[in-house]
Amino acid sequence: MVIEVKESMPDFSISIDNRITRIRFRCMASPCEVLIDSQDLALAHEIAACAVGEATRIEHKFSRYLDGNLIYQINHSPGEFVELDAEADRLIAFAFQCYDLSEGLFDITSGILQKIWRFDGKHPVPTQRQVDELLPFIGLDRISYDKKRLKLPEGMQIDLGGIGKEYAVDQITGLLRNQYKPGILINLGGDIAITGMRQSGEQWFIGIEDPDRSQQASSMLKMRRGAIATSGDANRYILHRGKRYGHILNPKTGWPVEGSPRSVTVGADTCTDAGIIATLAMLQGKYAEEFLERQGLKYHCHR
Amino acid sequence: MQLKRKLTGALSLASCSLLGLPTAQAESQWDIETAVMYYSEKDRVTAIEPILGMKKELSDDEFLKLKFTLDSLTGASASGAVPSTQVQTFSTPSGNDTYVVAANETPLDPTFFDTRAQFSLGWDKPIKRTLRRNLGFNISKEYDFTSIAGNASWTWDTNLRNTSYTIGANIELDWIEPEGGAPLPLSSQDPDSSPPILRDGDSKQKQVYDLLLGVTQIIDRSSLVQFNLSLSLADGYLNDPYKLVSVVDSTAGPNEGEPVDQIYENRPDTRQRSALYSRYKKQLTNRDIFSISYRFMSDDWGIDSHTVDVSYRWRLNNGYFIQPGIRYYEQSAAHFYRYFLLDGDAIPGTVTADYRLGELTTQTIGVKFGYSGNKNNNWSIRLERYTQSGESHPDVAIGQLVNQNLYPDVDATIIQFNYAFLW
Repeated sequence: MVIEVKESMPDFSISIDNRITRIRFRCMASPCEVLIDSQDLALAHEIAACAVGEATRIEHKFSRYLDGNLIYQINHSPGEFVELDAEADRLIAFAFQCYDLSEGLFDITSGILQKIWRFDGKHPVPTQRQVDELLPFIGLDRISYDKKRLKLPEGMQIDLGGIGKEYAVDQITGLLRNQYKPGILINLGGDIAITGMRQSGEQWFIGIEDPDRSQQASSMLKMRRGAIATSGDANRYILHRGKRYGHILNPKTGWPVEGSPRSVTVGADTCTDAGIIATLAMLQGKYAEEFLERQGLKYHCHR
Repeated sequence: MQLKRKLTGALSLASCSLLGLPTAQAESQWDIETAVMYYSEKDRVTAIEPILGMKKELSDDEFLKLKFTLDSLTGASASGAVPSTQVQTFSTPSGNDTYVVAANETPLDPTFFDTRAQFSLGWDKPIKRTLRRNLGFNISKEYDFTSIAGNASWTWDTNLRNTSYTIGANIELDWIEPEGGAPLPLSSQDPDSSPPILRDGDSKQKQVYDLLLGVTQIIDRSSLVQFNLSLSLADGYLNDPYKLVSVVDSTAGPNEGEPVDQIYENRPDTRQRSALYSRYKKQLTNRDIFSISYRFMSDDWGIDSHTVDVSYRWRLNNGYFIQPGIRYYEQSAAHFYRYFLLDGDAIPGTVTADYRLGELTTQTIGVKFGYSGNKNNNWSIRLERYTQSGESHPDVAIGQLVNQNLYPDVDATIIQFNYAFLW
């Protein structure tokens, strides 16, 4: 039985299949879905409004691709302090903590490297000179951040893309967990969390996409609790002088990390934690597995 | 760059705060640290010192610290006067009474008894993400001494928090009200005359200004170095009102070296000190901790001192540890330090025979044993043996003083018990 329901804003569809209600929508340039361990359509509508609304709210507020939002304002006010609301302040504080913890490898100012690195197979590898010209504009420590105020120097930009999607997953999970009894799985473009077990006591099965065969799940992961996040994209890489460069850029060198896995999936209590660890693992290149082992979390590393 | 740490603990704390989730310790509690120290010099001073320290996180990374200390001292310390082959009679500091010192004994001031109460308050607050400010206040009161002090310091973390710079300043105001009034410097103490002690006012004051510059550098995941430069200026009444200098007979004969007079000491009224402190600390692969520090201090009184401190914290099973340590200290004498003065010579404008300003070395050897496995409940016991020694038979000794011990050793035992818990 498939029931298509169209809502005016935002778009989502609801279907019921094998005792699970599935809500699909697009957000943050990714396919997203919410699975509910229930066949209650009215409930599904309520949950859809909540989940889609929250995802869209976070995207509109923090995407750097949208004009007029807070990130746009910060990125377009060089040399001026921009006031942050409580939520933005928490996100920025978290970005700084990740920067410190990762010894500068996780850096929300590294997005400007995408001006010269295009992983679309058409653009050439940039020259060292082009990279060197951008490096002075990267480094979170160059930003002035007092509590609740942020000021960027001329030429610098911030991009919360590295935490936004995982943050949205955790926020939606938190909202839904408090309100609804059935187990719910939230999946925004592969970053996943669950609110609880299925009523039957069964675990949730998650398929992990094989980067080489992108429509087929290559392995299955069982989840009882917590969240998983994946970093890496098999279809985005550059071959240069015989070396394969993934799309993960090292903010300190301005170059892609050599020897990264093709993708890393990490399980943790929150999607935010899982996403940071997965990204850092990619940045560890050939040491990814060693790094992941040390963290003591469940992971899947695809090379 | 390879990340060699386990990040998940700190990361989940950060993400819990991002997501508004409860963290393991949501409600801020008081960190309480209690200690009792027992200090005992052989035949001299005994002190018992209970300490209560309290610390609370007021808000994110903002701390309030309170500390109460009570010192109770009994016993006697060397007055600075030399021993004699004869019984010596001295006036008590009040001038109302006398006491005698047996022949060939080091004169002590036997009325030494005091209780000191001290309270300090510290407020440590992050000003910016990488800048902390610490403000402090200190008050201390004993029978003849009152001190208040205020301090401020700023610590700036940079280089991904691998380097910290500290700048700090302290101002201290002290009031000294010696028993019976301050003795007139360089005047004689004579139990037979009236009054036995000449006075120079009831109350004296001094100010101390300190400036501290520090840098701490994390070398790698398991080691750090620290350097501190401190400059200090004391201005005002710097004498010890109870210390004497003996004037001895210098004529050859049976009385050579016998005290003929006892005068009150006089020190310069300013003292400038600078000190450089460096420390290296390393956590070994088995998580034992090795620490070594060196401090050099130099002042314009001519005292240069060197301190070396080495300790090794040896981790035992189940949260217990044992930490042996040794400390060595040596100092040169103040330029106005004299074992005694010679009768007939002009009395210098500044002079002291206080053993603490003489040339000396100290050695401390100790061991600490404790349990630190649980933040809610940890304790330690420290046992130390302290020896201070100087030149007992200096070349300047004449007559009967050649056979006297002019710088007796001080041997002390220190026992301290600490207990810390959350409240």
